[in-house]
Amino acid sequence: MNSQSYLRLTVRCSFILSLLFLGGCLRGNMRPIASFNDALFRFSSSYREPSLSNQWLVALTNSQGKDKIEMINIRTRARIALPGINRADSQPISVSVSANGQRLALVRQRADQTELLIYRRSVGTLQLIELIPKGVPRRVSLDSSGRVLAVQVSRDGRWDVEVIRLKS
Amino acid sequence: MIINNFRKFVCLISLLGICSCTQQVTRLPSQFESRNQEEPALSGNGEKLAFIVDYQGRPSVELRDLRNGNVLPLRHLSRNQPHSSPSLSWNGRYIAVIAQRGVKRLVIIEDRLTGRSHQLPIPGERMPVRLSLSPDASQLALQIIDKGKWRIELFDLRGKIEPDLPSGTEFFNNSRAEN
Repeated sequence: MNSQSYLRLTVRCSFILSLLFLGGCLRGNMRPIASFNDALFRFSSSYREPSLSNQWLVALTNSQGKDKIEMINIRTRARIALPGINRADSQPISVSVSANGQRLALVRQRADQTELLIYRRSVGTLQLIELIPKGVPRRVSLDSSGRVLAVQVSRDGRWDVEVIRLKS
Repeated sequence: MIINNFRKFVCLISLLGICSCTQQVTRLPSQFESRNQEEPALSGNGEKLAFIVDYQGRPSVELRDLRNGNVLPLRHLSRNQPHSSPSLSWNGRYIAVIAQRGVKRLVIIEDRLTGRSHQLPIPGERMPVRLSLSPDASQLALQIIDKGKWRIELFDLRGKIEPDLPSGTEFFNNSRAEN
């Protein structure tokens, strides 16, 4: 084997190794779900504060200058109606969804009050969760069962995290 | 007589209603230090809590076991501050957070079972702002700033990391106990 053959073999080996290396890197990357992302972009060009369960995405979106809560079925890519959750006199700040999508925890600003609420989708009702001692809620997180929530609360100029267990 | 009885009945029902509402909420005693605590994130099973604590001007993620209040160790998240927007999988096997590397913001997912860390850089000039991990860790929703606009993109993590399912609780706890 002459030196030219050695050179060709080295170049081929390098090429194959590069392909294998690139393949390994690409396999390790997270893949955007383009079809869902495109569908979401068609609904609105502005979404924020995502909360994900295995089947649902809940987020805040801005429509005609007004923030509102939207729920999207990831599999069907359909927007789900949430009757009674978005009001003309309130502004949502944070939202979180349970695993089965039946419960949402939300923080909203209404007049000069900031409220923490639980929304039950099956009945379309909102339940106010009172903070004792009083505080201003900011961000909320719900567990998968929708029965435990953690909320960021401001009291006397300091942020605390409080965990609340709901009995029902 | 009937009207009086009806009023009493309505009063009793109202009182019961108020009592049942107030009893629905229980609060855990505060076991956290006297620092600002922000951006709470519960694990799917409600047993673990991640949040951001301000350590001398460096917002850092902290993970607590709510059953005993213990701080749980995080191997790969003691640097790359500031951290923001933590999110946990079902059993808290995975913790995802937005962190800083050089001038770039990136997503870091720590696997507490294997001790591995997955760094997920965001391609282009887009900057991650908030994230949410699905309970089974199969998907990640990422809020990014793209050309001055907020948008959310969904990413598929299957093939990248193993799922964290409710049935994995026993396996996860046993594995940690063995370690």
